Formats: sequence, C-alpha cells, structure tokens
Amino acid sequence: MFKIINKQILTKNIKRLDIVAPRIAEKVLPGQFVNIRPGATDETIPLTVIDTDQAKGTITVIVREVGSTSRVLASKGINDKVASILGPLGMPAQIKKKGVVVCIATGIGSAQILPMCRALRSVGNKVVGIIGAKTKRAVLMEAQMRLACNKLLIATEDGTYERRGMATDILSDLMERDTIHQVNAIGSADMMSSVCKITKRKRIKTFVQLNPVMIDCLGMCGSCRVVVSGKTVLACKDGPEFDGHRVDFENYKIRLKAFEEQKWDSPRAQSSHGKNESKTLTKLFSGILKS
Amino acid sequence: MTAALEIISQRNGLPSICGRICSAPCETACILNDEESPIGIRALERYASDHGRPKPSRREVVARRGKRIAIVGSGPAGLSAARDLARWGYQVTVFEAFDRPGGVLRYGIPEYRIPEKVLDLEIEEMVFLGVTFENNCAIGHTRSIDELKAEGFSAILVATGAGIPKFMDIPGANLGGVFYGEEFLIRVNQRRETAASDMFPFGNKVVIIGSGNTALDCARVSVRLQRHTTLVCRKTLDEMRVRNSDRDFARDEGVAFEPLVQPVEIVPSEDGHVMGLKCVRLDYADENSTGTWSLIPVPHSEFVIEADTLVIAIGHQPNVSVGKLRRKLKTNEDGTLMVDPKTGMTSTRGIFAAGNVVTHAGPVVSAIASGQRSAEHVHQYLSK
Repeated sequence: MFKIINKQILTKNIKRLDIVAPRIAEKVLPGQFVNIRPGATDETIPLTVIDTDQAKGTITVIVREVGSTSRVLASKGINDKVASILGPLGMPAQIKKKGVVVCIATGIGSAQILPMCRALRSVGNKVVGIIGAKTKRAVLMEAQMRLACNKLLIATEDGTYERRGMATDILSDLMERDTIHQVNAIGSADMMSSVCKITKRKRIKTFVQLNPVMIDCLGMCGSCRVVVSGKTVLACKDGPEFDGHRVDFENYKIRLKAFEEQKWDSPRAQSSHGKNESKTLTKLFSGILKS
Repeated sequence: MTAALEIISQRNGLPSICGRICSAPCETACILNDEESPIGIRALERYASDHGRPKPSRREVVARRGKRIAIVGSGPAGLSAARDLARWGYQVTVFEAFDRPGGVLRYGIPEYRIPEKVLDLEIEEMVFLGVTFENNCAIGHTRSIDELKAEGFSAILVATGAGIPKFMDIPGANLGGVFYGEEFLIRVNQRRETAASDMFPFGNKVVIIGSGNTALDCARVSVRLQRHTTLVCRKTLDEMRVRNSDRDFARDEGVAFEPLVQPVEIVPSEDGHVMGLKCVRLDYADENSTGTWSLIPVPHSEFVIEADTLVIAIGHQPNVSVGKLRRKLKTNEDGTLMVDPKTGMTSTRGIFAAGNVVTHAGPVVSAIASGQRSAEHVHQYLSK
C-alpha cells in the first residue's frame, strides 16, 4: 500500500496527489509514468510523474476525473492509501542540449510537460514554455512552469488571461520571430498534430507524448498500439515520447476513440441470441408458466 | 490421497494447475488409446491436488543454504522453479510486476479454467515453503538486474513469459473494437472483480481470430458473457492447437466455428469502429502438381462476418524488457533470450532463463517443465 501525504485541488476535476513510493521516486526520469490501482478491486490508471521529492520519497501525479477509476483515485484524501503503484514505466524523454526548445502543452499536458522543461533547462537549453487553456481557471501549474522555463507564454481561448487564442498560434508567431531548435508537445491529438504540421514546414525536430488507453502498461495487452514510421509500436513500451513527424495521428485519434463504451449496447439490454441465450432456472420456469 | 499428491508433486510443481489446463500430451501418448480410452491422468492429478492437499504448515520449512535466488516473473515457469528451489533450501524471492503473483495464470487465463482460489492455494503453499513474493516490482523498470546482483542474489532466473501480442498485419487492425487476446482476457479478469462487472467494453457480435488456446479461451469467455461469438481460423477444426474436448465444449456452449478461413480486411464503420471482418475461404490444393498440398484461397469465396468486436489471438512475442532496458542479454532472431541448453544460462553468468521467454510460445505445461529444468540448472550452478 502507498500512502498519500499531500493533496491539492487544482480545478474542479483535476487533483494533485503526492504519494510515498521511494523506490519509484529514486528511479523515475522525465517523461516516465506509473500505473496506479487505487483500490484492490479497481482497474489501473497510467499517470505521468510530474515531480519527485527524494527526501520524502514521494512522487507527484495529476489526476483528471474522467472515468470511474480516476474518480476513485481523485476522491482519496491525505493519509489514504492506494493499493498498488507500478513504475517507473515507459522510455524516458530525450533530454539533450539543443539550443532553444519550445515546450508546448494544453490541458493536463501542462502538468505533464513540467519535468521535461526542468530537465531541458538543466542541460543548458533556453526553454520557452507555451500553455494553452480554455479559460484562466483551467491554466495548470503556472507558477511551477514560470520557474522551470526561461520564458512562459499563455493563451486562453476566451481571452480571460494573457493572449486570446490557441497555444499553436503563439508557436507560429514564435517560429516567425525566433530560431527554434526543438519542440516538445503534450496535449490533445489535434493540438499535437497541428504542432507537427507547423514545425514540419521548417524541419524543426518535434517530440510528442502519446497517451492512448493502457491496461497493463508493460506491453502485454497491446491496447496502446500506435503507428509510428508506418510500424505498429506500443506507447507503453516504446514511448510514450515519439518523433511527432513520424506519428500517424489519424490512427492515434481512432485509438483514442476505441474505448468509448457507449458505442456498444449494455449486455443486459441485448436481445436473445438463440443458442447463446443463458439457460437459467428463472427462464426455464417462466417458459413453463407461459406454456 | 495425500500420498498420491506427494508422488505427483515430486515431478510436478503445480499439480492443481496442470490438472486443470494441461494439454495432456501423456494421454495422447497413452498405449491404452489403441484399445479403449487413455488413463485420465489430468483428471486424476486434479482430483489428488483438490482432495489430498494437507493444510499448509510451517513444518515443511527446510534447512536453508543461505544462498539467495531472484526469480523475475511469477507465471508458471517462475512459480515451478521457485517451489523446487525453495524445497532445496534456497532463499527464493519472486518479483512480480502486477499487484498479485500468478502472471498469466491469474490475468491471462479465464477464471473458469483456473479458479483464483486454486492459484492462491498454490502460492500460499510456496509462502509456507519460505518463498518471498515482491509484487509491484517490474525488474528492468523498478529495479535493474544489476541492482539485484548488488543486493546479494547469487543467481537470477528470468521467467517473464511471452506476453507481447503478435500484431496482425491486415487493414483495420487498429480500429476501435479490435482487441488482442491478452487485452480481452485481462479486461475481463480485472473487471470481474469490480462492482461494475456487467460493464465490459465489448459489443454483442464478437469475432475471434486464432486457433490456439488463447483464441478458444477468448471465445468461451465471450460466449459466457452472452455475446454472439464466432471463431475464425486458418486451420481445420482437427488441426486447431487445442484439446478436442475443449473445442467441443466451446461448440456446446454456443461458439460458432469458421474453419479454413483467412481474414483479409477489417471493415470499418464511419466512426472508426469495426463493423465486420472480410474473409476468404481456404482449401488444400496441389497447385504445382508436385504432391505438396498447401492452403490456398478459394476464388470468389470472399464473405463478410458482421462484428462489432474483434479479438485477435494469433500468438505472442517474448517479453524481454528486462534485457533491453538494463544489462544486455543476448537474444535470438525471434526475440527470445539466448540460453545455453546445457547450463540453462543466458549470455551473462549467473543469469538463467526459463519458460516462454526462451521457447517463444508453448503451453503452460511446457513452461512449468522449463521452470523445473532451470531450477535444476541453478542448483547445479550454485552447488559448484
């Protein structure tokens, strides 16, 4: 069992948790994630480690409430325990000195990109952070990002904070003005795809972080398969960071939509299937009564 | 019965597992096949293990040799090796990536074939023998092999299995509603435990592709979840790599079989989900009149099976992330770990490998046997 020692409510449905996991805290590198099972009978949920505290032996994760498992995890409080944490998983992000590196993120991605900004700056890059959000309230980890980047630019869709517009608009402007050597992007498939289209024109190396649905996070289930350079690879094992110009985003979007359960009828609502219909005693008796 | 189980246990580390899911090659080879039916060795083994098991006690603890052995993976190979090595007095620690030991036996095989209680009993017995299980620890991620050596383990046995699915190269393989066999079984096994056990992200018309045990397991699980299930395979029914009785049970339960069929394309719907499976029928033909009969597509035999869920279970690849991430263990062309057949050792001294990470793919009984052989190899190495 792993104890939660700190919790912060970032927005209505996004929570930050500090969990004691010294072995993982010691090993985890930027870009890696952990697979968390909140309770013994819950499913697992993969979450990027955004920070560690070696002294306390904690890892920090950000949970967005989207499904039943993430809701269970987000509802846990300080001193509560999570059943299991496996990690660090995935390949670490490539951290090299390149010059000017733009780290662009939207939504919860602005928390996930934080360790990369820190690492890229620590090796001597000039890091320009770009955060995109719908409103001012949805801007995450602003203070931490300001500390981690040499410069931070923010765009809100409704114009309630800093520049009105999309994060990609800022990137386009920046590319016109300055020389950029590398771009790291984390966010929705549409945003990462747009970033790659923009940077491809100027042949700027672009890394994206793919977050398809994962089950075991060790490559066994094949659920997180994505197409990169025309080859099927596993995001949990070979990623989650990939060269954005080689990613098949159309396929990635299909994979993201692959688990929308409402696509299927509830099994209880299904009609009979001849031989496959279960032969329960209740059905047998109801048949006798009818006849 | 206890005496019978003791005799069985001398040769087989996991009798209650073998008694349930073994492919029973011994029964196929039984000389009584010529007369009547073979001796039901599998059923006898199951009966003995179910009814002859004494209450586990710490009395079994044997004198310790003081040498520590790390086993990476708690699947059939890892468990059988752990049991033998613990009996011989070694201090065995089994590292498991999931939160409970058992590996494929727990997450990759349906509950109706190996009930969780049976597996838990086997593991409980090993704990009484002195085996330590360290869960939530993926070697190669949480800890490296080098770290294990530094911690004082005299030998390391890698038994990580063949967990990576073999990808199918046909159009539409990444559509929504297309699963690989392991994912399908893991999802069902995990969801069964949750409160929302009636919510499975599968449709009502399930098509399974494959001809092995995983495919048949998926089909039987699907039909038990009241889905209309069809299993398509490139082989004839008799050529399927499963026990005939299991195949017949599946048919009785309601699985429809489409043998001698080659999937050609997964038909997509407008929103990127699977809508059907386009197939072509196959038949044996002596195309070049050389006397060699091979399967070829029957002209104009294309047809589409309606489906909203497709499960691909056509095989596995070895899971060698242990070697890739840390110390370089030499691998063969097919991705399996390179092992000296005489010593059972990998390219690195003191590191052994067992099970499907060496043999690529095989039934559970082969993995159990491989684990036992490797235990002997480790024992020989440490006795020098």
